[in-house]
Amino acid sequence: MTDVTITLLPASPLHALEIWSNPASVAKRFKAACGFALPATGCSDGNDKLRVIRYEPTVWLVEGDASALSGILWDDGALTAIGGGIVRIRLSGDGWRTLLMEGGVFDAESPSFAAGCSAATIIDHVNVRLHVVDDDICDAYVPLSYSEAIIHFWKTAALSLAL
Amino acid sequence: MMQITCPHCGPRAQAEFVYERTVDSVVALDASPEDAMRTLFTRDNPRGVDDEIWRHTYGCRAWMVVTRHRVTNEISAIRAVGPEVLP
Amino acid sequence: MINFSFDGKNYTAQKGDTLAAALLRNGIGLVGRSFKYHRPRGIMTAGVEEPNALVTIGEGGRTEPNTRATDVFVYEGLVAKSQNRWPNLSFDIGAVFGLAAPVISAGFYYKTFFGSAKRWMFYEHFIRRAAGLGNAPTETDPDRFSQRAAFCDVLVVGAGPAGLSAALEAVEAGKRVILVEQDNILGSSLIRDPQELDGAWVEATAERIRAAGGRILTRTTASGYWEHDLVTLTQRIAEPGQIPLQGVAQRLWHIRAAKVILATGSIERPMAFAHNDRPGVMLSQAVRTYVHRFGVVPGKRVVIATNNDDAYKTAHALQAAGAEVVAILDARPAPAGADSGLPVHNNAVPLSTEGARHCLKSVTALVDGQAQSWHADLLAVSGGFTPVVHLHMQAGGTLDWNDAAQAFVPAISRQNVTTIGGAADPKPVFKMVPVSKPKKSFIDFQNDVTLSDVDLAWAEGYRSVEHLKRYTTLGMATDQGKLSNMAALGRLAEKQGVAIHEAGLTTFRPPYTPVTMGLLAGAGAKDAGAHVRRLALYDVHAAKNPIWQPLGYWFRPRAYPAGSETLAQAALREAKAVRSTVGMTDVSTLAKFEVSGPDAAAFLEIICATTVNKLAVGRGRYTFMLREDGFVFDDGTVWRLEENRYLLTSSTGGADRMATHISYVRQYLCPHLRVSAVNVQEHYAGIAVAGPKAKVALSALIGEEPPRHMSTVPAVIAGVPVIILAASYSGERAFEIYVEASHAGAVWAACETEVMEQDGALYGLEAMEFLRIEKGHLVVGGEVDGRMTPHDLALDKMLNKTGGYVGASGLSRPALSETGRRQLVGLEAIDGNNIPEGAMLVTHEGVSPQGHVSAAAFRIIEGGSIALGQLTDGFARHGEELIATSPTRGQKARVRVVAPHFYDTAGERYRD
Repeated sequence: MTDVTITLLPASPLHALEIWSNPASVAKRFKAACGFALPATGCSDGNDKLRVIRYEPTVWLVEGDASALSGILWDDGALTAIGGGIVRIRLSGDGWRTLLMEGGVFDAESPSFAAGCSAATIIDHVNVRLHVVDDDICDAYVPLSYSEAIIHFWKTAALSLAL
Repeated sequence: MMQITCPHCGPRAQAEFVYERTVDSVVALDASPEDAMRTLFTRDNPRGVDDEIWRHTYGCRAWMVVTRHRVTNEISAIRAVGPEVLP
Repeated sequence: MINFSFDGKNYTAQKGDTLAAALLRNGIGLVGRSFKYHRPRGIMTAGVEEPNALVTIGEGGRTEPNTRATDVFVYEGLVAKSQNRWPNLSFDIGAVFGLAAPVISAGFYYKTFFGSAKRWMFYEHFIRRAAGLGNAPTETDPDRFSQRAAFCDVLVVGAGPAGLSAALEAVEAGKRVILVEQDNILGSSLIRDPQELDGAWVEATAERIRAAGGRILTRTTASGYWEHDLVTLTQRIAEPGQIPLQGVAQRLWHIRAAKVILATGSIERPMAFAHNDRPGVMLSQAVRTYVHRFGVVPGKRVVIATNNDDAYKTAHALQAAGAEVVAILDARPAPAGADSGLPVHNNAVPLSTEGARHCLKSVTALVDGQAQSWHADLLAVSGGFTPVVHLHMQAGGTLDWNDAAQAFVPAISRQNVTTIGGAADPKPVFKMVPVSKPKKSFIDFQNDVTLSDVDLAWAEGYRSVEHLKRYTTLGMATDQGKLSNMAALGRLAEKQGVAIHEAGLTTFRPPYTPVTMGLLAGAGAKDAGAHVRRLALYDVHAAKNPIWQPLGYWFRPRAYPAGSETLAQAALREAKAVRSTVGMTDVSTLAKFEVSGPDAAAFLEIICATTVNKLAVGRGRYTFMLREDGFVFDDGTVWRLEENRYLLTSSTGGADRMATHISYVRQYLCPHLRVSAVNVQEHYAGIAVAGPKAKVALSALIGEEPPRHMSTVPAVIAGVPVIILAASYSGERAFEIYVEASHAGAVWAACETEVMEQDGALYGLEAMEFLRIEKGHLVVGGEVDGRMTPHDLALDKMLNKTGGYVGASGLSRPALSETGRRQLVGLEAIDGNNIPEGAMLVTHEGVSPQGHVSAAAFRIIEGGSIALGQLTDGFARHGEELIATSPTRGQKARVRVVAPHFYDTAGERYRD
């Protein structure tokens, strides 16, 4: 349970979708446009083209082509590009949960933190957003300026997980 | 390290949160100079329960009011603040 | 067979031996010298409570001083050294202190520190050489330390019979369970007393716990109990001094448990009698542990002193191992021990021991009021049992007094913790009062505190247990009084004439056993304690080999020296390029926020103390922000990119603070506003291009007329979309180019080509500082130091007259508009000296300062020292001459107060 591979994912368009008013109506329009519901706190949803992760109470991280969304927001929300400042790191292999406990404070070993779940936490002083892709894969979204440091931390920690 | 139950994320380690200030230290935007002075400089500092503003800075970034006993660290209530939120 | 060395001599140990067991196996009884009196000391216990047998383990950076020989397992090549002895262990010059004991009796340090400083100066050299433990290593620890979190429903501390059973029950009820044991094998008391439940039961139970998903951590000590049931564990992956397999020597666990079960057992108590610290005096259960666990019999002729039944097991164990039990001194009256078949003496308590060459020779006891002696080489002592309540107490618990056991036991706790097993229910004992002379009756063996020290403290008026502790240093050694506190409390209660539980208790503080500092630092033990934030364009800069400068958590180029240029030469050349042709620099670290929505302007007018809503689309302005108390805390620019979309920039150093402030205003103060304020600090990399040729360069880059000063346009450079802000911090016509950070490299390269085409240069923070000082622009953390109002900085004309911004109420306090406030001024040197940065401003030598120099530089083209500063009522003092003096650096300059603008005061160079 201690094998994990750390890979840098290629840059992808990322947007912050914030809703400041009439969230229920926006959610309805969103579902009609995208075919899936705006995910609840701690969750993600989506398809191959568009993945949406609840990021903050009023903010979703939109990964992929966000063009369909500008038409549904009206005066209730806004999209802001944020992808330049975020690095996506894929942790794959059955050891990712153990790895995330190193320097962490969040219960990534809980069975309830399963595919489709997301969480934001702090690991080795770096704020990290996690998204469980499936049993063997968890993606981490980390600030660009800290990405070197956290990758180095993970690669070092991965050497001694079994101890 | 305390455990604080974020109204949005559930129980999380204190390391994810930042204590910001007490509720009675907030200067209203329309405060008179006298009110501002009182709020800024002559607050209570109870040895016991107080309402504190915390932020889940390294989590969902939401703000909340935490009612905490400063001696025992017992947290008796946590209330979310902020705009209307989709469940 | 395992080879190890002690004080340079080679020995062998058996597999599973602690160093203490191995030393005893090799017949070594003298292991160390005591802290204060240099008395010879041996091995007293078989556990973490060991006060005497402290040794230094390992070599080089792996050296661990003050390691308990009872708490390190021998590995091949282990190197151990005794401590606190000179020239060697068996002949120690410091031992004369033992003869001169009154010199350093209780309160010696206390009196010395509170006496005159001279007294300390006199004693210091003498004390530092003589008193002390092992030496800290001077080399860097080559090992890594891991920190890991874990969560569970039930955490069980202690894997004795009670702990194992509790863990099994919980895990079989479907709970997430973690069981921790400080020893390297499970069983605890069952290792010492295998007849009660055998090793097979321990093995089978552990197997069932693991099979049901429970986690068992051995060699792991629960060392701290914190808030909300967080328990920290320290796990030894490698033994002290041992080269770890995968680089990780220890792991610090943070366990958040829904419930904690403490099965921590108890620690046997010594008895207080004269010379009770001699090698050969050992705790009874420890003797049994050496016999049963390690097959080592620590004596041939043994006297046992006890006040309880448990010590009889030791007698039987010794007999079975072939030792002779010559007497059992049982403090209890007959018929205690009568049916044991052993030479029992009732109403018997030890008075003293005699020894020779660091060995025990005989034991004298008071039996029914008569002194009687026995030849013996081992005295096994059992003075009762102290439940290990440390974690319970750290959790905020209370204690009850159990009179039958003469011990404190856990009562209630405000956390979810219960104590089970021996720690909750200690064995009954007979109450004893020391009868021996107090002088050499040690109670705190590690800090050399005797009963007579307690008596002295009492005689000198120290009544409370907290004062007693500090006066005598009792319980303040690395063992934290695990063996000593009860004896001291007993004596204090006797003096006070109260029951022991009325005498008070000192506070139990983490850690339970000593923790390596590196473990607490974790991954931060090497290099910086915090991560360095890396620029998106880091590789581009690094290739040019700049001088780097830390700025908050960032590192930014300070200058790009060419050839053998110094920092000052490089910075001046770079600044001249900006003044004469064009320069470019990386401004990516500036705080940046994109603010969208119908209420964006209204929101910004709460954050900013200037107006915002009058900006036309495509225009920007300088702005600043106030704290609630009316002082300026940051500044920047605000740009209207679209009808309902703005970009706000502010200082690098204040970026995190500003992000919090914006979030606070948005979420807490103004939840009703229809606005989204997103931190885009790292999304955009920023490149500033400044100088008389900047416009030409920009035209070439974007293929069109660049925006005029304080205007913004979207454009494309090198095929990459960018935002261009025409803003100047240098005083020249200048542009800031913002580009999505992942594409910044291409844009930087295109800009660099064009800048070089115009005979320009790259510039770093040092040149930027020269330029902005000459122009009189503010820097947050310099001129904006948290004590300046907008009026003090001459920004008041820009304030939003309608108010409504954060800080408007605070700013209207009358005190902030009184005279006598420090105000922003310019300074120019008039005596040819350079103005020292940070210097005080005085009218003449020897009077109170009236201000200070916040930043100093040079006129870039003409030369001459100039500076910005804060001066009392400075606006009205232009023309006055002052002295800028820095006594700490021995520098000063005569200066003239001028307006804080030294360059292009009319602002003509911005305009086309």
